[in-house]
Amino acid sequence: MTAQQGQTQIDTFNSRLPIVVIGMVMISALLVLKLFSFQQLSLDVINELSPDYNRNINLAAARGIIYDREGQRLAVNTLEYRIGISPNLVSNPQRTATQLAAILNLDELETYQALSSDQSYVLLAPRVSAEIGQQVEALELDNVIRIEKIPRRVYPQGTLAAQILGFVGGDLQGYYGVEGKFQDQLAGRAREEVVSNIPFEVTDQQEADKGNDLYLTLDRDIQFLVESQLQQSITETGATGGTIIVMNPRSGDILGMASWPSFDPNDYSASRERDWRNPAVSEQYEPGSIMKVLTIAAGLDSGKISKDWTYNDQGSIDVGGIKIENWDRRAHGVVDTQGILVQSLNVGAATVSLSMGPIDFFKYMSKFNVGRLTGVNLEGEATGTMYILGDPDYSDSSLGTDAFGQGLATTPLQMITAISAIANDGLMMQPNIVQKIVTSDGEVPSQPTALGRPITADTAHLVRDMMVVVVRDGLDSDAQLPGYTVAGKTGTAEIPTPVGYRSDAWIMSFIGFLPADDPQVIVLIKLDEPTTGRWASQVVAPIFRRLAERLVVLMEIPPDDVRLALAAQGGDVNGVQR
Amino acid sequence: MNQNWLQHALRDTPFKLQRQAIALAGLGLFVAIIIGALYLAQSTANATLGRQLEELIAKRDQLEQTNEQLRSSIAQLRSVPRLLDRAKQLGFVDSGQQNIEYLVVNGYNPNRVQATPQPEAARPDVPEYDESFVGWVQQQWDAFTSQLSSFSNGGDP
Repeated sequence: MTAQQGQTQIDTFNSRLPIVVIGMVMISALLVLKLFSFQQLSLDVINELSPDYNRNINLAAARGIIYDREGQRLAVNTLEYRIGISPNLVSNPQRTATQLAAILNLDELETYQALSSDQSYVLLAPRVSAEIGQQVEALELDNVIRIEKIPRRVYPQGTLAAQILGFVGGDLQGYYGVEGKFQDQLAGRAREEVVSNIPFEVTDQQEADKGNDLYLTLDRDIQFLVESQLQQSITETGATGGTIIVMNPRSGDILGMASWPSFDPNDYSASRERDWRNPAVSEQYEPGSIMKVLTIAAGLDSGKISKDWTYNDQGSIDVGGIKIENWDRRAHGVVDTQGILVQSLNVGAATVSLSMGPIDFFKYMSKFNVGRLTGVNLEGEATGTMYILGDPDYSDSSLGTDAFGQGLATTPLQMITAISAIANDGLMMQPNIVQKIVTSDGEVPSQPTALGRPITADTAHLVRDMMVVVVRDGLDSDAQLPGYTVAGKTGTAEIPTPVGYRSDAWIMSFIGFLPADDPQVIVLIKLDEPTTGRWASQVVAPIFRRLAERLVVLMEIPPDDVRLALAAQGGDVNGVQR
Repeated sequence: MNQNWLQHALRDTPFKLQRQAIALAGLGLFVAIIIGALYLAQSTANATLGRQLEELIAKRDQLEQTNEQLRSSIAQLRSVPRLLDRAKQLGFVDSGQQNIEYLVVNGYNPNRVQATPQPEAARPDVPEYDESFVGWVQQQWDAFTSQLSSFSNGGDP
């Protein structure tokens, strides 16, 4: 090659090089521009090309948990799985049938036949546990298997506190009890959210608004004690039903509340609808002689009678055309105020109400909330019935019969609320079942609320002392608890029918609190139509004693002598309460 | 000589201008490629983290469900009837009043005033800022090399 030829090639190379470089630069620039346009400028085009760019997801809100006052779980959430399959998409029916039949405990041949069809969907198992569902998920049959998660409310304590808790139906709505009353709080808020399938756009906000947790005032151990005692009492006495309520008279906190018949909230459909209600708040009954406590308290507080007031009991009295007799149909002669309670004299109670007159008497009964809602935070509370002067159904005899608890109707909860005013120095607290609500922002404790002060503290102490004598020296001595001062009163009420009162069955009840001088617990026991005795003092008072024996252990209430010794050195009974 | 140099200069001047333009364009392309590479590396890292995050969210949900199942099981296992049965099997009996002895300790007042320590003054919970440009470049470089090594290994990033 000559030097001239070499120079010519170099010149040619030099002249073409810029063209090649410029071409490469332009192609590279085009590539970069296209890449940029894909990333930023063509989202609409990408959306059209790929309809799965976004997907809608339903975020179910987890229902709030319900706890007792000690944090024991009373209602929780679990998942169940509904397993279905698309047989027309199954590539190997034999192997798939073998796998699924083993996990779901199905007949392998029937499963194989189902999978061999050309149907688009076959339901294999309507409800299986989460454990089994996760085993099916692990098979990774993503294209053919259809797994739906079904939230389920579970009550791990079984039937415990069923009528207080209520239940959650198949529509995920709460019914009865606190489940129904606090549906809005517990349910939370489900959300539907649009989520991008592009991994750059993952967010961690894929959660619904969880429901609030509820802490009840119930004590699980006391609730179990109350339920087991009620069950035992009904079995022993042949009663057709009953209710026991245990409450703190100082705060109105309900520590235990049981009624029978009851139901299993885990299998609510197996029981009758009427068993779902809570008779302690929704069933009205004529309370009987327990009402005399309120009558005496009203008479004393109004000043119409005093502690030393007496009357001449002739065994009967005529009020509004109705002849009122004592339980023993006997005359008791000169009886003082305390004697009316100790001997449970209907004539004495009617005499007190007559001396007060209808205006004062019913004013006091209204102050005790008789015939009014207590406002307890439970669903289905009944108002009770009390006809007062001016009502169309009021009769003159009401003044006499209401004084000893016949002719009016209250709920068990109304009755224990009214008597708790005697235990709480005259201050009547609103019954309460919710201790606190835990939200995502923190805890919202419920504050004790007073319904009113129907009587003064002095009157309350006077009546309390009389109730102590009723248990110590009176008809209800079977309710005595050794080592403790108990204040109480029984009631044996006739059962009304459309044509009068039944003569073969009664509602028997007892209400008592202890320690009488510093009450920590008040108990109402009510049995419907027990058959083992004629009077509540025979049938229900011993049940109170048996229940109280266990209650003082569970609540760590020391005997009076220990309490007084503690008080002598600056402590009080609250110091040893857990 | 002067004429030859002048002729040579006149002949080569346009090519020199072209080479300068090409050099500038090449530099621009290089910068664009570097930016593109960094962008791609960052996007890939984001996509990878996004997938990992999705998997972690799914895992978290499953673990929460499992936890809830376990809590339910624990609550069932700790129900009162079961605990009572278990206690009876172990030989325990219900304690009655006669089994309990309350002791009154002379001079001890359960309601005495207790001195509670005061909490320390709250300090603002602000994390210390220690980011720097060099650190950011180092993070990008580490992510880039990590991507390259994972791709070259052929496994999941």
